[in-house]
Amino acid sequence: MSPEEIIDHALERYERPLISYAKGITGDLESARDAVQETFLRLSRQDVRALEKRLAPWLFFVCRNCALDHQRKVLRFPDGALSEEQPSDAPSPSAEVSASEDGLLLKKLVSQLPPQQRELIQLKFDAGLSYKEMSEATRMSISNVGVQLHTAIQTLRKLWNRENTEAVS
Amino acid sequence: MKTEDFRITQYALGELHGKDREEFERELAASEELQRELEQTIALCDRLTELPKDEDTLTDRQRESLRNACAIECTNRRQRQIVQRVLAYAALVMGGIILATMALPAVSSSLSQPSQAMLAQLEARRERKAEEVQIAAEKPQTMVAAAATPPALGDVAKTGPATDTPAEQTKSDLLALALSANNLQVQELEQSDKKLLADGSASTAAIMSIAAPSAPASTMTAAPGSLEKTKQAVSGDIPIAGRLFASQAPATREAAKERLDGRAGAFRDEDQSRQRAINEARGTFNTEAYDAIEDNPFRETKGNELSTFSIDVDTASYANVRRFLQSEQLPPAGAVRIEELVNYFGYNYPQPTNGQPFSVNVEVSKAPWAPQHELVRIALKGQEIPKGDRGPANLVFLIDVSGSMQPENKLPLLKRSLKALVENLAPDDRVAIVVYAGSSGLVLPSTPGKEKTRILEALDNLAAGGSTNGAQGITLAYQTARENFLKGGNNRVILCTDGDFNVGVTNQSDLTTLIERERASGVFLSVLGFGEGNLKDSTMEKLADKGNGNYAYIDSFSEGRKVLVEQMNSTLFTIAKDVKVQVEFNPAQVAGYRLIGYENRILAKEDFNDDRKDAGEIGAGHTVTALYEVVPAGQPLPNRPSVDPLKYSEPSPTAEIDRKASGELLTVKLRYKAPDGDTSKLIEVPVKNTPVAFDEASPDFQFAAAVAAFGMKLRNSPYAGDLSWSDIQKIARRNLGEDPGSYRAEFLTLIEKAARLQSGK
Repeated sequence: MSPEEIIDHALERYERPLISYAKGITGDLESARDAVQETFLRLSRQDVRALEKRLAPWLFFVCRNCALDHQRKVLRFPDGALSEEQPSDAPSPSAEVSASEDGLLLKKLVSQLPPQQRELIQLKFDAGLSYKEMSEATRMSISNVGVQLHTAIQTLRKLWNRENTEAVS
Repeated sequence: MKTEDFRITQYALGELHGKDREEFERELAASEELQRELEQTIALCDRLTELPKDEDTLTDRQRESLRNACAIECTNRRQRQIVQRVLAYAALVMGGIILATMALPAVSSSLSQPSQAMLAQLEARRERKAEEVQIAAEKPQTMVAAAATPPALGDVAKTGPATDTPAEQTKSDLLALALSANNLQVQELEQSDKKLLADGSASTAAIMSIAAPSAPASTMTAAPGSLEKTKQAVSGDIPIAGRLFASQAPATREAAKERLDGRAGAFRDEDQSRQRAINEARGTFNTEAYDAIEDNPFRETKGNELSTFSIDVDTASYANVRRFLQSEQLPPAGAVRIEELVNYFGYNYPQPTNGQPFSVNVEVSKAPWAPQHELVRIALKGQEIPKGDRGPANLVFLIDVSGSMQPENKLPLLKRSLKALVENLAPDDRVAIVVYAGSSGLVLPSTPGKEKTRILEALDNLAAGGSTNGAQGITLAYQTARENFLKGGNNRVILCTDGDFNVGVTNQSDLTTLIERERASGVFLSVLGFGEGNLKDSTMEKLADKGNGNYAYIDSFSEGRKVLVEQMNSTLFTIAKDVKVQVEFNPAQVAGYRLIGYENRILAKEDFNDDRKDAGEIGAGHTVTALYEVVPAGQPLPNRPSVDPLKYSEPSPTAEIDRKASGELLTVKLRYKAPDGDTSKLIEVPVKNTPVAFDEASPDFQFAAAVAAFGMKLRNSPYAGDLSWSDIQKIARRNLGEDPGSYRAEFLTLIEKAARLQSGK
């Protein structure tokens, strides 16, 4: 595959999860979009073929940095010329009613996790990265990824069970 | 227990391997508590996986500009690599020469005077070139630096009174300037490198042969294109670029633009003449010379009586050119493939009558851009399948746009496949699109096939995201199909999904009942499966079975095309394959000729009768047009230095007989195979030399000539002649004809755009 094809492919595959990941960091869609565009521009300046094998971790790592850069910029201008924010966690009106209640609750619980754990959950379940890829994307050791993700999931499980039993009682 | 805890998650996610896994499984078997923990963890993981995905993506525009920008970066990167390679070769050569000179005194006595002198000259020249390279290598930084200074200026301007220049545009221009300045310098660098190499003479011959295939071909063709692309993409809507720079005084911007345009133009001209020189040098009659897209040159009929090419029914180049022009950019010459421009339009060629799969018509008139030359049009028309053989189609696409459809081989492939189908719809076919995901909806109400652009746009705008609820979708799809029911037609719901067909509140048997009921109403169901992993093969097959339809699995675009085109639209199947055209010119009538377009479809004359050689396909109703510009006997060939007449070769006696025997201009020969055949059949059409005045040629002929003239002018072809843009537009306007789909009318606006852009206004 030519570099252009690899990039196209990566765009098809990772555009949505990357936006979602970046949005988790920046908090607003527009700067998430910017971060993702910047990520792909940087990708196109790399030796794409050499990167192909570990494209996913590279993308998420760079995207994370871009998103953090954006966030820093926004923090510097807190009055926020850039932030035409859309409330990112609001349920989309078209969301399916039956399945969405559980989903919304779980989403809320995920958003309450510490940032690092929340990111790992996203990388795993939204972007579908492996432990090894997650470790590369976050620059954490594989075992630390394992421990943090486990902690996150067990926390979620506890909260989930509590909410559900509360709902029943 | 606690320290091992994280293995539960690891195991649940399939990330535990080898010994650890075995050990964990042993512990698991022994501990019920662990089993319970694992079960719950897996359940939660499943829930997390099924969590409704965030559906936000880039906007289509952002994605488009991003793709362009990335393509440019890739091209630039490749060019830099080539420069590095060439420099490395040059260094090698120089090293070799220095060594040779050091050893020279020993052998100098045996060398003759002239060769010593040559060596000295060579040496001197090489040093000069080396300096040039040095200088050129230093330039880019300064240029970029110069181009990059304005942002500082911008900061000043920002604090001052607001300028009337839209900030966004200024920023883009600045970035464009910086990028293209860089680009130009890279190219200049390459040029000097190549000169250096070329000057390396005999001793570098071996190295040249390594460097030559990659360097000249790719850099030469890439150069003008990438520059244009840079300008285009950068001035597009790239918000990142937008945020990089603040606003800037308009004067500076104008100056910068002027400089940029001036340089670009100069560079283009220079590059083209250089490329022509290369082609000339390579031998114009060698088929390999057509690898790079460069206008076919005039060929002298004597010794080149045969012209052979494969038909091309592609039309992509036109769409590409249109995209460029509509975004206010001139397309790079390499993107303008004239045969694809000409073939983009439909023409009213007569149907075949004699049982052949296609008709061949030849018309001879004058070339409007060179009135002393004749223009010969060879027109093929594939047989139309009679309308009566099938009723009109009323199709409702029911498309799964849930998050799982995101991968390349699902929704994107589906879109491409459906577009292929839509492109080939009859005007009275109808198409509607219903999507289902988190919610279902009618994306496109039933639309007749003649409004193709609307249908294609709707397909383009589909994006994956959300979870699946098929039940509402399928009800809506059937309802739409029934509302637009065509009596005696093909009324069909086409369900496109990766199989994650969540029936929601409706259970499976309710769904099959629904489908069976609808079948009675005459609406059938076809199911197209996409992707892997998630595919619920049996469910889909069952649905299709109940729906009195078929189920097909689509894994690639060619498969999608095959399935959709063959099954859904019987007018669309290949009626002949490997269609080749060979034209034999009569030297008594024709001094020389030039095939317009088809540069990359040229075949060797031997390929014509070689049934193993692949060529283009023609579908039912397809039209294919090829144009030859012909220089009548007795006139000089343009753009070619004259050669003295041969002293020892007499005109052959057979040629004399030909001359007397016929007033024939040329003979068109076609070879084609039946779609399932292996041996080709031959059609021969002799053509008399009876040109009519251009104004009296058929409207289709005149329009095709206008399109070809447009293409040549757009490519800055040396053969474009002296037609002005408005001349071309006049010809096109006079010959719009019925213009179904208004494509020809749209062409008129493209001519205007091209004229405006080329004049730099």
